[in-house]
Amino acid sequence: MKTFLQKSYRWVDDRVQLDNLVHFMGKKYVPVHRHSIWYYFGGVSLFLFIIQVVTGIMLLLYYKSGEDAAFESIQYLMSKVEFGWLIRSVHSWAANLFILAAMIHMFSVFFEKAYRRPREITWVTGMLMFFLALGFGFSGYLLPWNELAFFATKVGTDIAGVVPVVGKPLLVFLRGGEEVTGATLSRFFGFHVAVFPGIFTVLLGIHLVLVQRQGISEPLGISHEHGKELKTMPFFPNFLLRDLLLWLLVLNIIAILAVFFPWELGKKADAFASAPAGIKPEWYFMFMFQTLKYIPAKVIFIDGEILGIMFFGVAGLLWLIVPFWDKASARGKQNRLLNYIGLFVVFYIILFTIIGWLA
Amino acid sequence: MKRFDFLSVITLFITVILMQYMAFAGDQCYRCHRANGDKPSALFKNDVHSAKGISCAGCHGGNSKTDDMEKAMDTNVGFIGVPKGDEISKTCAGCHSNQDKMRGFSSSLPTNQLDKLQTSVHGQSSVAGGEHIAQCITCHGAHGIVSVKNPVSPVYPLNVIKTCSQCHSNPNFMKTYNPSLPIDQLEKYMTSVHGMKNAKGDSKVAECASCHGSHDIRDAKDVKSKIYPVNLPGTCSKCHSDANYMKEYGIPTDQFDKFAKSVHGNALLKKHDVAAPACNDCHGNHGATPPGVESISNVCGTCHALNAELFSSSPHKKVFDENKLPECETCHSNHEIITASEQLLGTTSTAVCSRCHSENKNQKGFVVANTMRRLMDSLASSEKNASMLVNNAEQKGMEISEAKFKLRDVHQAWMQSRTMVHSFNTDKFGESASKGLLEASNISSEAQHAIDEYYFRRWGLGIATLIFSIVSITLYLIIKRIERKQENKEK
Repeated sequence: MKTFLQKSYRWVDDRVQLDNLVHFMGKKYVPVHRHSIWYYFGGVSLFLFIIQVVTGIMLLLYYKSGEDAAFESIQYLMSKVEFGWLIRSVHSWAANLFILAAMIHMFSVFFEKAYRRPREITWVTGMLMFFLALGFGFSGYLLPWNELAFFATKVGTDIAGVVPVVGKPLLVFLRGGEEVTGATLSRFFGFHVAVFPGIFTVLLGIHLVLVQRQGISEPLGISHEHGKELKTMPFFPNFLLRDLLLWLLVLNIIAILAVFFPWELGKKADAFASAPAGIKPEWYFMFMFQTLKYIPAKVIFIDGEILGIMFFGVAGLLWLIVPFWDKASARGKQNRLLNYIGLFVVFYIILFTIIGWLA
Repeated sequence: MKRFDFLSVITLFITVILMQYMAFAGDQCYRCHRANGDKPSALFKNDVHSAKGISCAGCHGGNSKTDDMEKAMDTNVGFIGVPKGDEISKTCAGCHSNQDKMRGFSSSLPTNQLDKLQTSVHGQSSVAGGEHIAQCITCHGAHGIVSVKNPVSPVYPLNVIKTCSQCHSNPNFMKTYNPSLPIDQLEKYMTSVHGMKNAKGDSKVAECASCHGSHDIRDAKDVKSKIYPVNLPGTCSKCHSDANYMKEYGIPTDQFDKFAKSVHGNALLKKHDVAAPACNDCHGNHGATPPGVESISNVCGTCHALNAELFSSSPHKKVFDENKLPECETCHSNHEIITASEQLLGTTSTAVCSRCHSENKNQKGFVVANTMRRLMDSLASSEKNASMLVNNAEQKGMEISEAKFKLRDVHQAWMQSRTMVHSFNTDKFGESASKGLLEASNISSEAQHAIDEYYFRRWGLGIATLIFSIVSITLYLIIKRIERKQENKEK
C-alpha cells in the first residue's frame, strides 16, 4: 500500500513538481500568540465554502428553476429524495455560518491590521468575496420561490431601486423587468450558480495564493512583546491538523442544526397575495434594514431612504479601501482611532441586528 | 227578543241620521257640493272622517262656514284646492302624524304611517321624480275612506289582494318601476291555500299585507324586510305558531320550532346564511302550498340535485312510490331535518334503515345498509388516522405538505360516499369509499414513513456525532504526539 502511494506521488511529482510545493508548505510557519485563535476563521470560511460548492452541486441535480417548478422541485427534494432534506439544510445552514465566519475573519483581520502593506490585495479580494457572499445569500434566498423569499426579494430590489440615477435601471436589471417574476428567478439562479461562483473562484484563488506567498501576518506590536522572538508553529502539519479538528467541529454543528432545525420551505410564492406580516430580511442584512427604518422620511431635502443607502454605500467603499487610507498602520504604528471605529461598527451591527430581530 | 232587535235598529238608524245631520249642519262645502250632485261629496257622506265631524276644509282648506264661494275658497283663509303628489300624503299626515289631533278624534291609530311609507319601496320617487310612488289615497281611497275593519275598505283583508294587484298585476305600471318583479303574484296567490281560503271569505288567512307589511313594505333583499330570508320564518310563524289562531285549521303549530333546530334553520337563523332555505323555498311564496308525496323529492332536489337523482334511480324509488312514502322526508323528516350523520345509516336502533329492514324483513336492504355503514365508519376512522399521522409528522418538522394536501381527497371521497348512499347500491357506493380508503392508506404510510424518518435522523445524528468525536479525539492525540516529537527534537 505504502509503495503504491509512494509510486503514485512520484508519478505526479515527475510531471508537476509537487516537491516544491511540499517543501514550501513545510517551511511555512504560523505565528503563535494570544490572538492566534482568529487565524482559524479564514480556514473555517474556506471549509464552509467548500461545503457550499459540494452541496450546491448536489442540489443542482434536483433543482428546477422557473416559477412553476422551483418550489415543487424543492418540495420533492425535501420529502422524496433520500437525504435531500439533509443536503438542503446543510447548504442553508452552512451559507449562514459561512457569512458569520467570513465576518469574524474580516473583523479579526481588520483589528489585527493584517491588511497593511504588502497585503492590500489580499484584503481587497477578501472584501470582494464577502460582498459576493452577501450576493450569494440574497440570490439563493429566492430560489425556493416561497412566500418569504418572494417578498424579501421584492423589498430588497425595491431598496436597490431607490439609489439615485442607477437605481431604476439596476432594479429592472435585477428583476428582469418591472416586477419580481419568473424572469427574476431565472436571473438570480444564473447569478447564484454561474456568475458569482465564477468570480468568487478567481478571487479565492488570488486570495489563497497571496496568503501562501506572503505567509500569515503578525499583529502589530506582538512580535516585540516582552522583547522575545515570536513563537511560531509549522503550518504543515500542526496548523492544518488543528484546522481539520475545527472543521470537524463545525461539520458536527451543521449536522446538529440540520437535524434539529431542518430549513423550512413554507408556502409557495403568490404574486397576488399580500405580504406576510412581520416580513424580515436575513440576519446579515438586518442591521441595514433596521437603520433604514429609523431614518426620517426627509432629512433636509434628501429622501431618508436614499441617504441611508448612500451612507452604507460609502461606508462599504471606505471599508474596502481601508489599506489605502490607513497610513498609520502601514507605517507600523497602532491606529487606535480605527480600532474604536471598528469596535463601534461591531457594536452597531450586533445591536441593530438584535433590535431588528426582536422588532 | 225580536222586538228588542227592531227597536235597536230603529234607534241606530235615527242616531246615524241625526249624527249626519249634525255633522254636516255647519258644513257649507258639503251642502253646496252635495246639492251639485258631485261624486266626492257623495262618497264623503260615508267617510270615517265625516263621521268624526271633519269637513271638506279639513283636507282642502278654506272656510266651510260660509256659503259665499269666493270667501269659502279664498286662498288667504288656507284654501288649497285638490292636493297633488306628495301634498296628498302630507295633508293626511297633518292629522295622522299628529298625536294630539288624533287623540282629539279619539283615535288609537299609530302616528308613524307616513314615516314608514317614506322608508318603504313605495316611498321611492315616482317617474316624475317629485313625488312618492304611492300616496295614502292609492290604497285607502280619497273620499270614501272607512276603517280597515270595514268590509268595504279597499284594505280590508279580503280586498287587499285586489287593491295591491291594481298596480302589481299591471304590466305597464310595473314595467315603469320594477320590470324584474313578476306580475302573476295574484294568480299564484289564488292557487295557494291562503288564496283559496281568502276567496271563500276567510279574512284570517294571509294576504299581501300579512307577509309584506302595510306601510313599511320593503324590498325582499332589504335586511329589515319581513320577507328577507332570515326574517321570513318569523313572519310565517306569527300565524303558524299561534295555536289559538290556527285552531280551526287543524294543522300543527310547531313547524317553526322544528325548523329552528334543523340543519336549514341553523344555517339560516343562526349563521345568517341566506342561501339556506326558508319556508318559502319549499312551500312556495305566493303560491304557498305544502309539497305532496309526489313532489317532495323534486322540491328537495332543487338544491340536493345529485341526491335526488341517485334516489330516483335507486331500488327505493319504486317501493316508496308503491307505499306512498314521501321520498326524502321518510328518512330525513321535513321541518326538523337534523344534520345527516353516519348514525342514520345502518341497522342500529338509531339508523333509519332499520325502520324497514331487519334480518327477517327485507333482508337484502339489511345487508346493504350494514355494508355501507361498515365502509363509512372505516373511511371516517381511516381519514382520522391519516390526519393524525400527518399532524404528528408536521409537528416534528417533517416536510409533509403533499400528504396534507392529499387529505382533502380523502375527505372529498368521504363526502362523495355520503352522497352515494342515496343510490342504495353497494357497487356504486363501494367505488367512492374504496377510493377514499386507498388514498387514506397511502397518506398514512407516507406520514408514518416521515415519522420513522424523523427518528432515523436523530439516530443518524447520534452515530455521526460519535464518529466525529472519535475522529476529533484521535486527531487531537495525533497533534499532541507530533508536537511532543517536535519538542523532543528541538531539545
